[in-house]
Amino acid sequence: MDAFIQKLYDTFIYDDRWKYLTNGLCTTLIITVFAVIIGMLLGFLVAIVRATHDRTGKLRVLNFFAKIYLTVIRGTPVMVQLLIIYYIIFASVRVDKTFVGILAFGINSGAYVAEIVRSGIMSIDPGQFEAGASLGLNYPKTMLYIIMPQAFKNILPALANECIVLLKETSVAGYIALEDLTKGGDIIRSVTYEAFLPLIAVALIYLVIVVGLSSLVGKLERRLKKSDRG
Amino acid sequence: MIEVKDLRKSFGDLEILKGVNTTIERNEKVVIIGQSGSGKSTFLRCLNRLEKPTGGSIVFEGTDLTTASEKQLYKVREKMGMVFQHFNLFPHLTIRGNLTLAPVKLRLLSKDEANERAENMLRKVGLYDKADSYPNMLSGGQKQRIAIARALVMNPDVMLFDEPTSALDPEMVGEVLELMKQLAAEGMTMIVVTHEMGFAREVASRVLFMDGGVIAEENEPNEFFNAPKNPRLQSFLSKVL
Repeated sequence: MDAFIQKLYDTFIYDDRWKYLTNGLCTTLIITVFAVIIGMLLGFLVAIVRATHDRTGKLRVLNFFAKIYLTVIRGTPVMVQLLIIYYIIFASVRVDKTFVGILAFGINSGAYVAEIVRSGIMSIDPGQFEAGASLGLNYPKTMLYIIMPQAFKNILPALANECIVLLKETSVAGYIALEDLTKGGDIIRSVTYEAFLPLIAVALIYLVIVVGLSSLVGKLERRLKKSDRG
Repeated sequence: MIEVKDLRKSFGDLEILKGVNTTIERNEKVVIIGQSGSGKSTFLRCLNRLEKPTGGSIVFEGTDLTTASEKQLYKVREKMGMVFQHFNLFPHLTIRGNLTLAPVKLRLLSKDEANERAENMLRKVGLYDKADSYPNMLSGGQKQRIAIARALVMNPDVMLFDEPTSALDPEMVGEVLELMKQLAAEGMTMIVVTHEMGFAREVASRVLFMDGGVIAEENEPNEFFNAPKNPRLQSFLSKVL
């Protein structure tokens, strides 16, 4: 028992090693939050371009670029994308690594969000577009006030899942020497030669956040369900 | 009010409308009947350009809808109410929201004005107590009455009905037809695609029989139902009456 307490002390307390975890968690959360914002913005834009093109035949050029973006991003691993952005695109520029992480994960997530949102738009009955048009609402207004709110509700679980996946995916950020949560745990392991406690601690922290987020989404879903009663 | 000349519509190789000609005057109640596949719904949907015609012209209050810009088209649709077979209410909005969305977002009315107008319309269709319900809490007949109210809030010059009672349970057809009769009596210009022959007889000022993508016969209802000339119409009527 004493040996275990000693290990706990060495892993977390001695030399303020717990700070590797808290600072790492901070970095992980910052990257995730901003990457989610970029991913959502990018994803919704790309999805609207794709859906508009599929439904009306407009936006040909934008749709072409959107398709290339989706193919490239979804066809290569996120870690490779991260390395390319850091070591090739920003090779000759001194740039904050956290920023690189946010950009890489944001651009990556955008592609997946785009396909989720597009499937949401496609799931809405064409009659809803027609009803909007018949009232004199043009395509953008119909999209904004009639289609998107319904699509959003349908895809909310998938979007939330994407956020959770993103949170976990940022754990490869250590490859560009970003000290995120995973890297923090790994640093402790490398100085104490004790793998069990720091890595289990890291896993637990991810788990608590994911479970917390999932339950929040569940609550939101129940609230949005209100209009489905009857 | 609406002048249709040689209207044609094809979906790929399939020609649905093969030259429809008719003129609809203000205050007319035109009922369109015909077998499924005869082009009657497509014709109606061409009138507010939900379908883009492949030929001919539709002139509504001086605007040719076949050549109108997108912007003009949306302006015109404000004046053409449409009621769909499957209601197409907005499920994410309350009934009040369904009625006020378009006039508010198009800046035709302020929020308060729209709300007041919506409440008046709900009283008119007898569903004032449902203002804050969601569409899914309503019966089919109630939904369709709300859909009619939603179109009326826009203060349209003409109302298009695309088989408004076909998706309803039989016991709910009556309440919707009652409301439509009331509208007709108030002088609304109406174009109705329906299978309700009783409604056509009672309300129509003119009945059109569509067959094979053209208007095969048209007449005032008495003559139309009692002395049909077209043999296809005779056989159609003998099946439905």
